[in-house]
Amino acid sequence: MQLTYLEAIRQGLWEEMERDPAVFCIGEDIGVYGGAFKVTDGFIDRFGSERVIDTPIAESAIVGAAFGAALTGMRPVAEFQFMDFIGCAFNQIVNMAAKAHYRWGAPAPLVIRGPSGGNVHGGPFHSQNPEAWFVHAPGLKVVSPASAYDAKGLIKASIRDNNPVIFFEHKYLYRRIKEEVPAEDYIVSLGKARIARAGGDLSIITYAAMVYLALEAAEILAKEGIEVEVVDLRTLAPLDREAIAQTVRKTNKVILLHEDVRTGGIAGEIAAVINEEAFDDLDGPIVRITAQDSPVPFSPPLEEFFLPKLSDLVREARRLKAY
Amino acid sequence: MTKKRKNPARPRKAGSHQSVRPKSAAVQRAYTLFDYRLEKPSFTLRQIRVGDQVRYQVEGDLSAPVPPIRESKYLDQKQCIEIYRWMLLNRKMEAALENLYKQGKVVGGVYFGLGQEACSCASAYALEPDEWLGPMIRNQGSLLVRGFSPRDIMMQYMAKAGSPTKGRDASSHFGDIQRHNVVAPISTLGDLIPVLSGVALGARLQGRKLAVMTYIGDGGQSTGVTYEGLNFAAVQDLGLVLFVENNLWGYSTPADMQFRVKDLAERAIAYGIPGVIVDGTDACQVYDAAHEACQRARRGEGPTLIEAKMMRMKGHAIHDAAEYVPQPLFEYWRRRDCIARFENFLVTVKHWLSPSENSELIASVDQQLESDRDFAVSSPMPVAESAAGGVYCEDGCHEIKPKYRVPKITTLKGPGPRQTDAAVHLK
Repeated sequence: MQLTYLEAIRQGLWEEMERDPAVFCIGEDIGVYGGAFKVTDGFIDRFGSERVIDTPIAESAIVGAAFGAALTGMRPVAEFQFMDFIGCAFNQIVNMAAKAHYRWGAPAPLVIRGPSGGNVHGGPFHSQNPEAWFVHAPGLKVVSPASAYDAKGLIKASIRDNNPVIFFEHKYLYRRIKEEVPAEDYIVSLGKARIARAGGDLSIITYAAMVYLALEAAEILAKEGIEVEVVDLRTLAPLDREAIAQTVRKTNKVILLHEDVRTGGIAGEIAAVINEEAFDDLDGPIVRITAQDSPVPFSPPLEEFFLPKLSDLVREARRLKAY
Repeated sequence: MTKKRKNPARPRKAGSHQSVRPKSAAVQRAYTLFDYRLEKPSFTLRQIRVGDQVRYQVEGDLSAPVPPIRESKYLDQKQCIEIYRWMLLNRKMEAALENLYKQGKVVGGVYFGLGQEACSCASAYALEPDEWLGPMIRNQGSLLVRGFSPRDIMMQYMAKAGSPTKGRDASSHFGDIQRHNVVAPISTLGDLIPVLSGVALGARLQGRKLAVMTYIGDGGQSTGVTYEGLNFAAVQDLGLVLFVENNLWGYSTPADMQFRVKDLAERAIAYGIPGVIVDGTDACQVYDAAHEACQRARRGEGPTLIEAKMMRMKGHAIHDAAEYVPQPLFEYWRRRDCIARFENFLVTVKHWLSPSENSELIASVDQQLESDRDFAVSSPMPVAESAAGGVYCEDGCHEIKPKYRVPKITTLKGPGPRQTDAAVHLK
């Protein structure tokens, strides 16, 4: 059936709620209202207020309670209204949940999901891409789907995973992406990248909304005879090191693209992985295209300036091809 | 405790969290704080300048006679003696740790619960085996009551391979979700409060109304997560028993500089939950308050805040000589030593323990500690390579399943997932 990216997440979550009685949802305004973006719309009517829990505005309590419930063998799915607010629960995530298995052998099968990303004129507190904060915390898995198919398969895999998973849903894609999604049960394994478009001349490694920018660039460049391979990482922790190395071995030239800010963004880590795994295969410099190092500005022309641009991507690809 | 709520069992509506809160609760104001204490110490600590230095000075009556132990409404002779033994084990284990530290056998520092043994041991004693506890750094006695052994704690401090965390974390930073139902604390304060609330939530989804217990200090209660966690437990009627251990010092800062209320139990009013005050050096008061709060939790009536008043009788950790604590305050609380008073209660007041039985009990504690200390000292350090691995739960290292029972799925009439295109925050 044709589903939007948002509907695919909803479908996946719904199916997991039906499949496994240990799964429950907890968050702000997720019940009667159905969530700020309506991901859990209708859930409370079917699953009841015991399993679809509206909470006070208290992010640390939400994550702490989810972790506590996970210790009893439940599989909580905590919603953040915006991933920008995740800083409020940072300690519970990185010190309590992430370290639990290593420190004292307690598995914490919980999912923290919510919308991230810009290009919707949300301003500095409704547009951020805080994924790199969590990639840096051992014990967490970090997921960031680009397609509706992956969104459903990855949310299901995240719920079934035995570790704390931070699931970044790109809000720009929520209603803009619509595609055929199987009605049946399937999962997309965490830690596996996909080739969103195959090509032999150079690779763009990216994830989430930037996959579409990369595909757009690839379309333009194809007309000039430049065949671009687009790698969609899908999971940022653990990184699919093999897929990264493979595309570099194939094309020998690579652009790293993300919507997150530049310094300390995942592109730096991927560059290091390429250095470790496929240095000899490089025929050009590793190019980074990212947002600028600033808060996400509000006004449309400012945000447009802030975000990675198609023109930059195409120009850098041409330059790299000619290198 | 506030007066009992009259809650005729109402039929549970399928699939909805049926609060036991009476409908009239919103308009009722129940500001009663139940105070178990037989004396109400009243003094304040102020910063004063003496010459060219700033010091803490205590003001108030420090000459009051020591009150008797308040007889428990619930504990019998055997239970009192058990609690007394846990308290002795707690104190003597920490004395052994201090010696091990002086011998250079401890890695890092040692934290003490000296003066707080009644609070740790008698509170944890109120829990059933399948209920849960989250200790703070000074609640090593609670860990013993939950079934961990002194050697576990000693090996934690000595960073041994055989410690519960296999040398990966220190002190009371360990737990177990299989047998002991203890959540390992982290160093930051208040974070266990939402976590224990979540344990109660998870159990409730599995059809069990549990009491879950954790602690916070007069210092730690200032944190935001304390508010978030307790408010969440209150709103959800979760069976949290929160001991606020007011030991007068947050590291080196006196309680008078941490909060403005007279009693921290007053905080309960703001959460709409019962607040109780106990003398934290009286094991019977601690137990009775804990027991009543646990019973309330098991009835599904929600959390209780219990303030236990006492003093931390050592520094923050072993490196801290606590020179900032005015000596008269030490003397005041030393006279109120929880173990000496409980011993007197059992031996002299109740005659539940003869002097010779008491000596035998003390000797058996010493013997247990000696054997545990020898075991811990001679056990190996971890091999370096064991630092690797275990960051993630992978490859079937744990089977995850509901601990109490698989929750029943209530099938309601709601439609399938809605394909709405409703107005949303940002498009």
